Amino acid sequence: MTAYLARRLLQTVALLFLLSIVLFALVNLAPGGPLAGHGQSRHVRPERAAILKRQFGLDKSLPLQYVIWLAGNDWMKVDADGDGVADSYGTRKGILRGDFGFSFRTREPALKEIGQRLPNTILLMAVTMSVAILIAIPIGIISALRQYSIYDIAVTTFSFAGQAIPEFWLGLILILVFYATLKSPFSGEPLLPAGGMYTLGIGFSLGDRIKHLILPVATGALGWIAWYSRFLRSSMLDVIHQDYLRTARAKGLPERTVIYRHALRNAIIPLVTLLALDLPYLIGGTVFVEMIFSWPGMGRLYYQSALQRDYPVLLAILIIGATAIILSNLLADVLYAYVDPRIRYD
Amino acid sequence: MIRSRESTALSLVCLFALLLASLAGCGQATQTPQPQPTATSPAIAEPTATQPAPTAKPTATQPPPTLTAAPPEPTSVVIVIPEDPPSFNAIVADTGYDALVMELTMLGLTDIDPEGNIFPELAAELPTIDNGGVVVDEEAWTMEVIWKLRQDVQWQDGTPVTADDVVFTWNAIADPDTGTWMQGIDYIGGVAKVDDYTFVISYTGIYPGYLTQFGGEQLVIWPAHYCDAEQGFTAWDCARAPMSDGPYVLEEWVVGDHMIFARNPNYYKADKPAIGQVIVRIVPDATVRKTMLINGDADVDMWTTEPIVFDLKDEPNVQVSISPYPRWVLRLFFNLAAKGTVDPVASPHPILADVRVRQAIRMAIDVDTISQQIFYGYGTAVWTELFRPPYGCDIPGPKYDPEAAAALLESAGWIDQDGDSVRECHGCLNAEEGAPMEMELITYSDFGEPMLLAQQLIAEMAGKIGVKFELTVVEGSVLWATAEEGGIEQLGNFDVDLWDDGYSGTDPTDFLWELYAADAAEPDYGWNISRWINDDFNALLDEAYTLDEAVRKDVFCQMAAILDEQVPSILLFSVINAEAHSTRLEGIQSTTFDVVTWNAEDWSVK
Repeated sequence: MTAYLARRLLQTVALLFLLSIVLFALVNLAPGGPLAGHGQSRHVRPERAAILKRQFGLDKSLPLQYVIWLAGNDWMKVDADGDGVADSYGTRKGILRGDFGFSFRTREPALKEIGQRLPNTILLMAVTMSVAILIAIPIGIISALRQYSIYDIAVTTFSFAGQAIPEFWLGLILILVFYATLKSPFSGEPLLPAGGMYTLGIGFSLGDRIKHLILPVATGALGWIAWYSRFLRSSMLDVIHQDYLRTARAKGLPERTVIYRHALRNAIIPLVTLLALDLPYLIGGTVFVEMIFSWPGMGRLYYQSALQRDYPVLLAILIIGATAIILSNLLADVLYAYVDPRIRYD
Repeated sequence: MIRSRESTALSLVCLFALLLASLAGCGQATQTPQPQPTATSPAIAEPTATQPAPTAKPTATQPPPTLTAAPPEPTSVVIVIPEDPPSFNAIVADTGYDALVMELTMLGLTDIDPEGNIFPELAAELPTIDNGGVVVDEEAWTMEVIWKLRQDVQWQDGTPVTADDVVFTWNAIADPDTGTWMQGIDYIGGVAKVDDYTFVISYTGIYPGYLTQFGGEQLVIWPAHYCDAEQGFTAWDCARAPMSDGPYVLEEWVVGDHMIFARNPNYYKADKPAIGQVIVRIVPDATVRKTMLINGDADVDMWTTEPIVFDLKDEPNVQVSISPYPRWVLRLFFNLAAKGTVDPVASPHPILADVRVRQAIRMAIDVDTISQQIFYGYGTAVWTELFRPPYGCDIPGPKYDPEAAAALLESAGWIDQDGDSVRECHGCLNAEEGAPMEMELITYSDFGEPMLLAQQLIAEMAGKIGVKFELTVVEGSVLWATAEEGGIEQLGNFDVDLWDDGYSGTDPTDFLWELYAADAAEPDYGWNISRWINDDFNALLDEAYTLDEAVRKDVFCQMAAILDEQVPSILLFSVINAEAHSTRLEGIQSTTFDVVTWNAEDWSVK
């Protein structure tokens, strides 16, 4: 296993290097660019564009831009004032030394921008996925045990609806119902807040935090519940027709023991793998839920960066996301070997 | 099996540990906003793990307490905007949201009211030739402007605002490494301090926009003792943690969520602002912002769009303030050079190079119908660039007359002989014989659905006179990118484009140069994307650089007449510039010359 892990980690480094080239090229070669007008500026004056180009480092060739992004420019002289003469050393350290550059939009370090959003997204997604798992597991089990019953049909319908309903629509409907329409019988205030992470001016309150989480979590979890419950149902159906379950019943074991100790334990193995593969969502966030519920997370940052061609922030998110995906794949493989004794990596 | 059980349990434990850690972490990091400023309250919240407050020089992040303190007011208003301001330095990114918070906290030399009148802020008075503030050297054709500052304005730490701050700001802007471009920058020879409250700006030519150059909605004066010149004008920390000389001070900024502003007790107008606290909340979705207004959880929605204004018209708790004058005008840009080229003489556009075709398309578009059906009647017909004070020109509006448009196309050699409802060239000026009258009509997606519907309606109207448009929608960052980045317009890769534009402030000279000057037709040198070259117009542009207002008015109206006759682009109608606000809020006035917080110090709550 150790040799396997070492080999995989080495492959990860090589893969990340290749990915960095591909991502850098894709982001830079996409149509449009950061020098186009945004906000109030439909068009940017060429004089301003020339200054921005130099300040953003876009005046270099693409391969050189990549080298600077990767390894910095503090070892080479650059033309900072636009007089055509490279007269001072640059200040960039490159991503290999933890410098992801600065946001074109705010001029703040890209990692700082991400650091401001990441904890919020982890909170939202951790709660969403936990709720989804806690609801999906019993739904999946019962649905499999009562295959083709009215319950199963209802759950199946719910699952398809859950996967089909767009988050932006569901989110707005929930806001209209729980914020705009329903009021608390005690205070007359809206039953749930329309968005944000907490109520301003009341200090930290766990109850207030939970109130702010209910609608975004409900909106985000619906699709996950449908996905996980369908997956577990299918997995359970595969298992409950196996011979060893028949043997367990023949031994006279109670049905509950048969289901939970023998069937579920095996059926849940693929779900654990699936969960590990879904871990990158913890840091990736979800654009629509964060937009509708004003949640200051990574999804919004990514969307805004993509729209405004904020290359450094966009690339930082992509590289971090790619790393998370690769590592979660590795984790899934390791977990698989751990939970299923039949799997061995030698 | 034992290993399997352990694994499942481990996964769940890890997940819940993560969840609890997140909750606990956020709980510790969140700072309760301090609603009222006190003599000892810091201007900027302390940075924490999840609530990184803006940072600046260690000595600068916590300005010393002010000496005077206004009595606290229990009033608070909430402004909702869709995204964080990039900084408090509006000229750097020009999103409008930066201007919103800049106007709350910082002062320029001058500002502009909703009627287009310029008024002094830091300046003691507006320098003019009459009061001796402007000295013109007729021989050298240069000028000097002598500015006098108010002597009662202080930064929030009690340091007076002086000419040193102005010189510092100018030097930072003009730094070739870390500075920026501003309107008329090429005309400024230097800024020199005379005494603490007097300075002189020397111009290398005559620059008529001098009054708002260091003011308006984009520029303010920055504190020399607080901002770090080494960091540079476009990136300095004091733009994210500003030291205020305006009516409010930044108290807390939780990025992506909210900003809290408290009254500046050191503001030079002792009785202002009336409202003690302004909260800016970041709410990306327009429907949610509208619902918050209706529910009373928001007081101002910045830049409310037509559909939302329409939805709110019967809401008892909400009013809409509409700017007296609009700015953004929906318009069609014609490419007078053949698609993919930029030289209208060597390669004229086969269809659009003929002015009669452009005039015919203008006559075929029913502006009122588009305004009514798509923009809920809030669009105001506009047909000339010079439509608002101080340079409004009396140009007669074009008539919607599809029959006359069709006749004009016939006379221009565009006739539908094969009966397919699309005209072909039969004796036209520039196209091959038999070539169909088909073109691409591009617009941008960022504006939203109304622009796309307008594009479809325009194509439908043009179709009625036999002009066929293929519709394309692209992102703004593709449409307006530089030629090097493959920008559609800079490279001339279009026939007709539909988008909205307009100039800020009161001086249209730079805007007219940018859109219509011959020099600006060169790719990546300007935005004359029509590649319209007119010598008379260029000569008038040169004449506009004078301080004689009567001459300027005359020159601008001559330009307007040429544009009306030559139709390098068609101006259709202005989109609304409005702010929806709660009825409890008084004194608010939307404006196109600035952002809505231009007079936040005058707001009050019923």
